[in-house]
Amino acid sequence: MTGRPQTAARTDRPLEDFAAEIGTSDPVVVVGGRTQWGVGGEPDPTAREVHAPRGVVAHEPAEMIVRVRAGTTVAELDAVLAEGGQTIALDPAHPERATVGGVLAVGQSGPRRLGWGPVRDTLLEARFVSAEGRLIRAGGPVVKNVTGFDLCRLLVGSLGTIGLLAEIVLRVRPRPPVAVWLRGAADDPDRLRQALFRPSSILWDGIDCWVLLEGHPADVEAEIKAIGPGFDPVAEPPPLPSGGRWSMSPSAVRNVVATLEPGTFVAEVGVGIVHESTAPPSRRVQPATAALHQRIKANFDPTGRLNPGRMVT
Amino acid sequence: MRLAVADEDLSACVSCGLCLPHCPTYRVTGEESASPRGRIAAMRATHATDAPAGPEFAEFMDLCVQCRGCEVACPSSVPFGRLMEGARATLARETAYQPRRRRMGYAVLGHHRLLLLASSAAAVLQRLHLVPARLGLPRLPLRRPRLRPGDTAGPGGRPIGTAGPGGRPIGTAGPGGRPIGTAGPGGRPIGTAGVGGRPPEPDAWLFTGCVMDAWMRPTHAAALRVMHATGARVALPGPGGDCCGALHVHAGLRRQAEALARRVMASMPGDAHVVVDSAGCGAALKDYGALLGTAEARRFSDRVLDVHEWLAARAGRLPAARRRLTGPVAVQDPCHLRHVQQAHQHVRTVLAPYADLVELGDDGLCCGAGGAYAGIHPAMAQEIRARKVAAIAATGAPVVASANPGCIVHLAGAGLDVRHPVDIIAWSLDGG
Amino acid sequence: MAGVASGEAACNSARQTGGVTDALAAELSAAMAPDRVRSGPLELTLYRRDASLLEGQPGVVCFPSTTDEVQAAVTIARRHGRAVVPRGSGTGLAGGAVPVGVDGAEPVVIVTTKMDRVLEIDADARVAWVQPGVLNLDLSRQVAHLGLHFAPDPSSQQSCSVGGNVANNSGGPHCLAYGVTSAHVLALEVVLPDGSLALLGDLDPEPPGYDLRGAFVGSEGTMGIAVRIAVRLSPDPPAVRTVLVDFASIETAASTVTGIIAAGLVPAALEMMDARITSAVEDYVHAGFPRDAAAVLLVELDGLPAGVEAATQIVADVAAANGARGVRVAADEAERALLWKGRKSAFGAIARIAPDYYLHDTVVPRTRLVEVLSEVYEIAARHRLLVVNVFHAGDGNLHPLLVFDRREPGVMARVLAAGTDMIAACVAVGGVLSGEHGIGLEKRDHMGLIFSDDDLDAQRRLRLAFDPEQACNPHKVLPSGSGCGDLQSVPAGAWI
Ligand SMILES: Cc1cc2nc3c(=O)[nH]c(=O)nc-3n(C[C@H](O)[C@H](O)[C@H](O)COP(=O)(O)OP(=O)(O)OC[C@H]3O[C@@H](n4cnc5c(N)ncnc54)[C@H](O)[C@@H]3O)c2cc1C
Ligand code: SF4
Ligand code: SF4
Repeated sequence: MTGRPQTAARTDRPLEDFAAEIGTSDPVVVVGGRTQWGVGGEPDPTAREVHAPRGVVAHEPAEMIVRVRAGTTVAELDAVLAEGGQTIALDPAHPERATVGGVLAVGQSGPRRLGWGPVRDTLLEARFVSAEGRLIRAGGPVVKNVTGFDLCRLLVGSLGTIGLLAEIVLRVRPRPPVAVWLRGAADDPDRLRQALFRPSSILWDGIDCWVLLEGHPADVEAEIKAIGPGFDPVAEPPPLPSGGRWSMSPSAVRNVVATLEPGTFVAEVGVGIVHESTAPPSRRVQPATAALHQRIKANFDPTGRLNPGRMVT
Repeated sequence: MRLAVADEDLSACVSCGLCLPHCPTYRVTGEESASPRGRIAAMRATHATDAPAGPEFAEFMDLCVQCRGCEVACPSSVPFGRLMEGARATLARETAYQPRRRRMGYAVLGHHRLLLLASSAAAVLQRLHLVPARLGLPRLPLRRPRLRPGDTAGPGGRPIGTAGPGGRPIGTAGPGGRPIGTAGPGGRPIGTAGVGGRPPEPDAWLFTGCVMDAWMRPTHAAALRVMHATGARVALPGPGGDCCGALHVHAGLRRQAEALARRVMASMPGDAHVVVDSAGCGAALKDYGALLGTAEARRFSDRVLDVHEWLAARAGRLPAARRRLTGPVAVQDPCHLRHVQQAHQHVRTVLAPYADLVELGDDGLCCGAGGAYAGIHPAMAQEIRARKVAAIAATGAPVVASANPGCIVHLAGAGLDVRHPVDIIAWSLDGG
Repeated sequence: MAGVASGEAACNSARQTGGVTDALAAELSAAMAPDRVRSGPLELTLYRRDASLLEGQPGVVCFPSTTDEVQAAVTIARRHGRAVVPRGSGTGLAGGAVPVGVDGAEPVVIVTTKMDRVLEIDADARVAWVQPGVLNLDLSRQVAHLGLHFAPDPSSQQSCSVGGNVANNSGGPHCLAYGVTSAHVLALEVVLPDGSLALLGDLDPEPPGYDLRGAFVGSEGTMGIAVRIAVRLSPDPPAVRTVLVDFASIETAASTVTGIIAAGLVPAALEMMDARITSAVEDYVHAGFPRDAAAVLLVELDGLPAGVEAATQIVADVAAANGARGVRVAADEAERALLWKGRKSAFGAIARIAPDYYLHDTVVPRTRLVEVLSEVYEIAARHRLLVVNVFHAGDGNLHPLLVFDRREPGVMARVLAAGTDMIAACVAVGGVLSGEHGIGLEKRDHMGLIFSDDDLDAQRRLRLAFDPEQACNPHKVLPSGSGCGDLQSVPAGAWI
């Protein structure tokens, strides 16, 4: 096994061109796959649209990292990773359209968060363009790093309001030898969570549970036994209702969904996300915390030219 | 102020802080000044200047229990005990660190008859409710059993002076009435002394000590009983073998300690093992080689064994239990057995056939007794003890086994049923 | 470390003594309790340093026990124009808790050790709220009966505080599979440098707004003081295997590491120790580490039993293919604990080689381990120093330790020069300055090696959002020259 990248660069243009395109003054809005366009509010329609560069720069299976341009779609990236027997903990609803940069900017994890961890933990290095049009590097291309402040985590979920992602380095993971979705009726999904060791996902619609088991075949088999009868393999998880994405402490899920009609929602058990058709009420942010948000935005984008109209709170 | 410590020892500390959680006073306070690392840093700062050590320094040093939990926790092998003893020796010599009152207290320990008298007097005062409770003294015995060395068993096969039912060790007066003290004129009979000629060399000496003999003589009787049960001939020290000097070393009163050490060595001549049933005394006796620095002292120290260490080597000769305590017994490791002598595993080996043992989950953290410490720093000692009591409570064991009189007394002060392992064994051998 | 005692120590002290400090101490005493505010000269000495080699000088040390008291301490310190320096257990290795003030005024050190309670455990949600002074290992012990533990396990876990872990985003052997502290912190209540209280993050997975929690973790005390921390608890794995592999050369050990990762395994831990440290550790723990090995790997695999068995086999195969001399699988929990005790005592056991050490903490791409290691040995030889290596090989996190005796004249200069060369060598292959110990004071002035002025400026903007006056742990992390401070180098009074 060598340390050399398995993939040669297949990129469309230099990062500097992206920075130049963003420039230094007028309002710009960065467009990805438009799969989550509404999150954070519609951006100012008069702002100039820019697109992040595309292409997988280097996949290094022995390092378990990949360097990729932000405009690359998740499906395209995953295809490259698959060649090296790896995958990525980005799990968007429309991988063929969603761009890696877009998924990170929105910061929402997919239904496998229980086992794969949140999106924010996959970002190791980011090259982004600042409001002043400069290319900035945050983090580094190694799996463990505390060199300086953690701008990477700040960028994930920042909706492009403090910098526009150009290129990123992500932590990848081995593809599991076996992955099975099981479905069965369940009125106590927490029981499954306690019975299983680190299942990759448990979804629940108030009637049925879907469980994703990944790992060594013998372990998966043993875990299927541990779940008990009444669960059968299915091809895929249920479709997630759209319109409302509620976030709550995992231990609050049971109480909250008790008020909902079974079958109309899908809850991510152990994570605390509930997908349903109505939007959650907007949340109050403590004054001191809100002031911090404002100061961060003001410090990084004093003129408010990055994705104007988008708000993180 | 130059301290009586080696520069090498001082510079061995790399300030990593790995000792912090093993230090009882740091656990209570969370302060560097009450931690091994901080105390060493304070020693360094003091050692490096010409200015005399101020009260701050004395205070930091004095709050140390000298449990040496830090020493075993330290991966750099900083000899903390030696450093602290050196710092205190300097303080005692150069400053008013050990006030007259305390010095006199330590001096009494070497005068056994005086100590026994004082202890009996205190016991009387206790009965009259004239001893303030804040001193945290245990209930002292009014009378002490008579110790009979030599015989392989007490009269009628009964252990002498072992506690009554349940074997409560503290302050139980056994049969025997009058305390005979350790030092009768002409010494004490060694073994079953041969008529006329030299007494035969015993298989082992049982060191009796000062406070332990005054307060807990039944435990000595139990130790004798158990040692006899292995078939050994046991002798008691001759005149002068009254006090090991441990407390003097800890207080920085090194000269007094050295004098006591010489007396103790002279009281147990020959090559037989010197067996000690008080972990604190045992640690001191084992350190005579370093204290006196003579070949003779080193040879003596090599003969010293904790009673459990001695028994463990003869475990096969001990009879089976005739009765057992009903509940489990929590094993509390005295610091001077675990951290200094590192002989605490032997307690388990020896005790296991006679009781169901449970371990404490506190990594052997000190209980706060610390020789005279509980008397000098009662508030801190009690806060430290509270953690130990919680660790014991977590096991649910009704009885605690502890191989050091200081710990037994201190923990009993919290209302626990604490017994010396040999008391438990003797009771168990004794049958129902 | 040895005797940086008083001669040097006097340097930065006594600048702000007498009345000013007295008034400050008096106000602090009124806000908490007199016995929790200290300004005795000897006591202050004890807070001049952490586990690094650097020294500063505190003006006052205080021990708040509640959030209110922390807020009061910060407010009072600021009113007196003092900086505040948060401190946990003082085991940091980069000088993060070394007190350095602003404008020549010694800072107020705020020690969290008396805030040491686990406040709340939600076993279902696998979350605990803790105070910052709770020791890392104490936390795991307190939840052990629930089959849970706190995953970040620095080698100092018995001593370091959760607050310190948060501030340094600490790692540990088991962070290879489970992630460093940031992955295990859900929410933080923080006293900001202006004395106000803010909740960062929350117990739910997607709290609104920027990931302030993520920004705070790893901020090394420069963005405020964490006073309540919600940590994620991890379930204990059903199966664990610990394997000790013994090599005749460093190169074969390093290529085994690369091989294991390339085989698609993510071991729970993958640690390497070189010959010198292995025998020093063996002297201390007597765990049967091979004294004649050129290097050993300690590999831990955990998860479900079949996967663990399969992975153990892969490790053995990869090791054999790379020419390992022996593979020993720990037979039971006691043996496993002993092997780990050896690994975790490694830094301390160095003292058996020489009284002083200087520890580096860089990360390099795992595939470059072989070449970087040989360069590290070469650099040490060039500077006539002894280097030992004990490190988190699985994530490429090197810990070269330069061991020396500081009483040897001129040795310190060589140690520093060798350290700088090693950092440069790591950066040259795409590495970073610190994997887990942080930048603190120690590596502050090396930041320019991997970040441009623009990069550093962006980090400064984040810091300024939290601490506009740069009064919380000033002069740490960001170098001078990026506009964050007016110092050109390590401040006077801070000693290496
Ligand atoms: C022998 C040894 C082994 C070590 N092994 C490892 C290891 O394996 N992995 C690793 O990552 N580290 C390791 N370390 C380094 C150190 O233990 C960690 O950095 C640890 O997290 C520091 O915790 P502490 O409580 O001692 O913090 P301190 O040293 O007291 O402080 C560290 C930093 O945190 C800040 N801080 C402390 N508390 C707070 C708070 N409540 N709010 C805000 N800021 C705060 C301080 O200002 C300072 O900048 C080791 C250290 C030693 C001595
Ligand atoms: S005494 Fe030992 S464990 Fe404690 S700080 Fe010093 S070197 Fe570390
Ligand atoms: S001897 Fe005991 S009390 Fe004294 S510093 Fe060491 S651990 Fe603390």
